[in-house]
Amino acid sequence: MASLLVVPRRTPSALRAIVQPAATRSLSTPAPSPQASTSTSSDSPSEPNTHYRITLRRSAISLGERKKGTLVALGIHRRMQTVYHLHNPETAGKILALKELVEVENVPASAVRTKTEQKWERKAPRGFVVVRNSIPQRS
Amino acid sequence: MFGAFRPTASVSVGLLWKTPWRLSRTRKANVRDRLKKVDAVIEAVRASGVECGALARALELPKEHEMDPKDKYTVFSPHDRGYRKGIHKVPKFTRITHRVNPKGF
Repeated sequence: MASLLVVPRRTPSALRAIVQPAATRSLSTPAPSPQASTSTSSDSPSEPNTHYRITLRRSAISLGERKKGTLVALGIHRRMQTVYHLHNPETAGKILALKELVEVENVPASAVRTKTEQKWERKAPRGFVVVRNSIPQRS
Repeated sequence: MFGAFRPTASVSVGLLWKTPWRLSRTRKANVRDRLKKVDAVIEAVRASGVECGALARALELPKEHEMDPKDKYTVFSPHDRGYRKGIHKVPKFTRITHRVNPKGF
């Protein structure tokens, strides 16, 4: 008779994992400090501002297909979405076409975040980080 | 019978739609806020150092603190007495730039 593999049931008390309180999530680079003003952020001499940080604050509903097309061109799909674009005259013109709807800030290249990175920074931390488990984990 | 857009009933005497002829002080404060926000956007684009035709035209617009209150809260209207009407009568006035009116009106 083949021996059955008995797996011990895991109870909450048995899982004596040693946990630590977690800080905010961070993906790769640390998040920019919340000291930037609305129009331009302070740049140290070594970090020139190279990007526009564009956030849609008011929708373009019933403003016509041209303005909606400008939003599509900027890559903005919904209100409160933030996108980053390099400084160039094309983007400047698009921003000025939507100047009543949009909030703009000049940021350095280190502050640019992709969609995934922004989502990661928005997520609330778990409240703990598992440092090690007293029970050997199944590999 | 209820709602924003009610038909005028033949039985009742007058109009069922009423808007005030001028903005309240709250609305005026909001108008000033919106103008300042647009000024901030134009300033951010100017500070980026990029040059384009749209920026040249935007910089010709008066800033909020340079504007007359008359221009902030009313627009030129050829049909009204005094040739001015409240800016809140302009469709989508909260999302449109209207700072300059014909000279002398």
